[in-house]
Amino acid sequence: MTVLFGTLGWRPQSLLPSIRSSENLERVVFYHSDHAKSREARAKVMEFCRSLGVAASAVEVSDAFDLLHVAGQIRADVRKERLAGSDLRFNIAGGTRLMSSAALLVCILEGIPATYVHDETYQEIPLPLLRISYGAGLTAKQREVLSFLVRNRDKDFTETALAKALGVHKATMNHHVRELEAKRAVARLRDPTDARRLIVKPAPGMELLVG
Amino acid sequence: MGFDERHVLPSLRLLPYDRLVLVAGRETIRSAAFRRLRALEPALRTVRVDPFDLMSALESIRETIRSAATDGSVRISASGGTKILTNAAILAAFQEGVEAWYCDPDPVRLPVLQGVVLDAVFSPAERAIARALHGPSPHDRLVSAVASQGFARRTVLGALQSLVGKGLVEIGRDGSLVWVRPSPRFALFRDHLRQVPKKG
Repeated sequence: MTVLFGTLGWRPQSLLPSIRSSENLERVVFYHSDHAKSREARAKVMEFCRSLGVAASAVEVSDAFDLLHVAGQIRADVRKERLAGSDLRFNIAGGTRLMSSAALLVCILEGIPATYVHDETYQEIPLPLLRISYGAGLTAKQREVLSFLVRNRDKDFTETALAKALGVHKATMNHHVRELEAKRAVARLRDPTDARRLIVKPAPGMELLVG
Repeated sequence: MGFDERHVLPSLRLLPYDRLVLVAGRETIRSAAFRRLRALEPALRTVRVDPFDLMSALESIRETIRSAATDGSVRISASGGTKILTNAAILAAFQEGVEAWYCDPDPVRLPVLQGVVLDAVFSPAERAIARALHGPSPHDRLVSAVASQGFARRTVLGALQSLVGKGLVEIGRDGSLVWVRPSPRFALFRDHLRQVPKKG
């Protein structure tokens, strides 16, 4: 069964083509803003889904000014459906720029097939995204180190402390940290209280990659 | 950039650069906002795209990144222009593995892994399958054709499963015959898959 996710702006036409074209559609989940016109569009999409006998749920994103926050919210919903074993699709055509970009970010990171709908022709256009997690660009060990740093973002770790915490040799940790640094996933920063120490910090937004 | 250069200015203030390349639609390049920006940045280079066509904008931005990357590192600010242009820029940054920012209004760095490019996710055997696959093909014939190029049969079978997992190839059965066919998404990756990777 397929769950279709979508972002909705003022025009229900941006989402309807995907509802029509999705095979074995079980449910539609879409995000919209708290603007009155967006709520009107929501009502039309809900009515359309009802007429097809497809369940639909609308999520109002009332304060959509933080891209990573919105992406985190969408990703949590997407992962929940994926855990339930559903096939996922995402239509990123509607909604505010931030909402649509947050949805695209989630599709890239999670490897979800995404489409947008042309503004004038209403033709559905698939985006070139692979069904693989973007985090596959890291090795398992690099992911482990990055996940640990993200979970402990508020703490300061030197390479030696990281090596101890994760049970690997200092030289091995140095290798992983250098690789992560080359990918700009972490940065080594001088400790303001001790200039001899370098603190390893995850780059901003890495929560979305390994969280 | 769209019709208000003020959406670009925060990026210019926050993100250091040596050269500035602006991706915009025809109407933007004719606008007063663009003339004001050019007055601030006389060496500004522009790339004209259709800001309502995501796929063509994506290809133009990818080309621009590749060409700029030969002279140094590239950093993208993706928050100006149409929503489609923004999304094309974000997608291009992830596919080309370059630093990307979203500045609306505060700067947010996107979790792109620098240097991790889309082309790198395809193995030589996957590329060989893609070059050999032009339409539905009997499984055994395809595997033999690719194996004859110097790949172990097991490697070809693994690569085939990997392409299935990536959603690019479908395997189906018609009676006793097993078929392999490109999925509808295959065409979107044809250029990536059929490129022969550079050595060194």
